[in-house]
Amino acid sequence: MDDVNPVPLTFRFIAALALMVLLVPVLIVVLAGLNSGEYLTFPPEGFSLRWVENFFTSPTFLPAFKLSFGLALATTLISTVLGTLASIFLTRSASKAREFLRGLFFLPVVLPGVVLGLALYVFFIWTDVGLARSLAGLIIGHVLVTMPFVIATVTASLVDLDLSVEEAARSLGATPLQAFWKVTLPLITPGISAGSIFAFIVSFGQFELTLFLATPDLQTLPLAIYSSLRYAFEPTAAAAGIFAICLVTVSTLISTRLSNLKKLLSRR
Amino acid sequence: MSDIRLEQLTKSYGDSVAVDSVSLQIREGEFYALLGPSGCGKSTTLRMVAGFVKPTAGRIVVDGQNLTPLPPEKRDIGIVFQNYAIFPHMSVADNIAFGLKLRKKSRSEIDTAVRAALEQVGLTGFEDRFQRNLSGGQQQRVALARVLVTEPRILLLDEPLSALDKTLREEMKFWIKNLQQKLGITTIYVTHDQDEALTMSDRIGVMRAGQIEQSGTPQQIYEEPGTLFVTSFIGQSNILDVKCLEVKEHKATIELGGQVLQASTHHLIGKGTGAKLVIRPENVLMGQEAEAQGVPLLAATVLDETYQGAMLRYRLEVAGQEIVAERQNQFHLEKWDPGAVVRIGWTERRARVLPEDGAGSSSG
Ligand SMILES: Nc1ncnc2c1ncn2[C@@H]1O[C@H](COP(=O)(O)OP(=O)(O)OP(=O)(O)O)[C@@H](O)[C@H]1O
Ligand SMILES: [Mg+2]
Repeated sequence: MDDVNPVPLTFRFIAALALMVLLVPVLIVVLAGLNSGEYLTFPPEGFSLRWVENFFTSPTFLPAFKLSFGLALATTLISTVLGTLASIFLTRSASKAREFLRGLFFLPVVLPGVVLGLALYVFFIWTDVGLARSLAGLIIGHVLVTMPFVIATVTASLVDLDLSVEEAARSLGATPLQAFWKVTLPLITPGISAGSIFAFIVSFGQFELTLFLATPDLQTLPLAIYSSLRYAFEPTAAAAGIFAICLVTVSTLISTRLSNLKKLLSRR
Repeated sequence: MSDIRLEQLTKSYGDSVAVDSVSLQIREGEFYALLGPSGCGKSTTLRMVAGFVKPTAGRIVVDGQNLTPLPPEKRDIGIVFQNYAIFPHMSVADNIAFGLKLRKKSRSEIDTAVRAALEQVGLTGFEDRFQRNLSGGQQQRVALARVLVTEPRILLLDEPLSALDKTLREEMKFWIKNLQQKLGITTIYVTHDQDEALTMSDRIGVMRAGQIEQSGTPQQIYEEPGTLFVTSFIGQSNILDVKCLEVKEHKATIELGGQVLQASTHHLIGKGTGAKLVIRPENVLMGQEAEAQGVPLLAATVLDETYQGAMLRYRLEVAGQEIVAERQNQFHLEKWDPGAVVRIGWTERRARVLPEDGAGSSSG
């Protein structure tokens, strides 16, 4: 006999409904991208790979995809390092500025992207150090909006971390830096990888902020999809969406696999 | 193996004082227990010795060397935490090798030492286990092995048994004590459990509100408690209100319920002032036993009797105050029913007079 399922039927029903609402648009995008008709319609008129092929040959979409990918990668790297350092400060420091800084770090999540984008744009122009409409400026903007996600997950694992393991390492002869590398870092790795995946996904799909900071020759995938839908209602945009969905799915899978693999290895 | 000297060690957090000018000498190879109720500053004291807490004032001196300014990693002191703090991402062998790797020992040296340490703590064959696959007792042994393998000068233990169940606790108590004696390592042991302190220690420091209230051998602490706090914290005691008539050469003449009695004391107590008479239940003599001692007797009424197997426990009333007596439960000894009036007494050596809390001064 099966064990009694501890989740009430009503909850399971609601969960299934929520999952459907989340997954149906994804399904629609995928089907629309495989459309054989001329226009972006649903239901599709028939199936073909013509728009997928078009994505690879298009002068806008493939470069945009590559730019978004590279931008997300660079953003993730910077965000992860800075976010981890910030989390350590936020959890360990006794400084009075702590709460203020925590609020500041999380501001980009609360502020509407349009406001933040405009503010950054004006700031870059005003400082006039060549950040306006440049890749560096774009990366800075993306780091600002992705870092809160890293900070949230890394802070959570730091709070969970039992300080006495660090102290044990210290009294066994480790300097603060050695204790960090050999004990703290391995133990907060799950939090760090979760945060960096978040950062990657958020940066990859970032739209409003990018709108203010990008240039015609710096067009990210979300921007490319947006403009293509505005001027030509063709299914290439949906095909590009398929690749975006694949990328996000793969990176999520890899990250869960990685952390599971680590657990498996350590269990032996 | 080292001796430790704490000199007026103090730690305050804002206005509150966690450790209040603790001075202490611990001899080489000694097993010293810090015993006290929750929040009295035991862990803070230990953590200052380990180097995790910076003292507000005072010094920690080991073998004549002032450790106070040194970080934990430079102190060569081993500490075992209450939760053992095993590194969860490392195998047992890697946990134990941790300190040796930092000391840049060779691979073969480390292997030999890890094997020897595992054998010492009875965990041979556990090399590849991880923390989540170890019981509390095993984690405890790994934590000890990890520390001992680096041959620290001093061993610090913060309530190492409190997370274990009762049977295991009894077993580990003797095991730790034996290991400590075999290694001859100077040890500070923090506990709030008087049994642990009494059975394991060479000396005990009873702490209260950041201060060491009394420091002495388990026997001194149990038999000659210097303050009411120590009296009530260690074992069970009757504490009776008496009037002090005279104190001379550690002997006090007191009055209780109209009867003049003798008791020992280490305090100077003013004539005619109120004082406390402290006597353990096992030292209250009843009936013929009391009469046979030729000591002054008091008339007591039996309130009730509790059967405890090997012991019988009587609650008595004497001069309007309650007093508990414990007698061996043997068939040839007298027994009393509730309501019976019985003569009770005690030998002068077993009864102690202490000043009311906060009053009076010790004369050593
Ligand atoms: N970091 C801290 N900040 C403020 N107060 C503290 C801090 N650490 C300890 N204290 C206070 O110092 C006092 C002594 O704490 P300590 O941990 O030394 O007690 P303890 O004797 O070990 O108690 P327990 O048996 O509960 O472990 C307590 O009142 C505690 O609240
Ligand atoms: Mg404590």
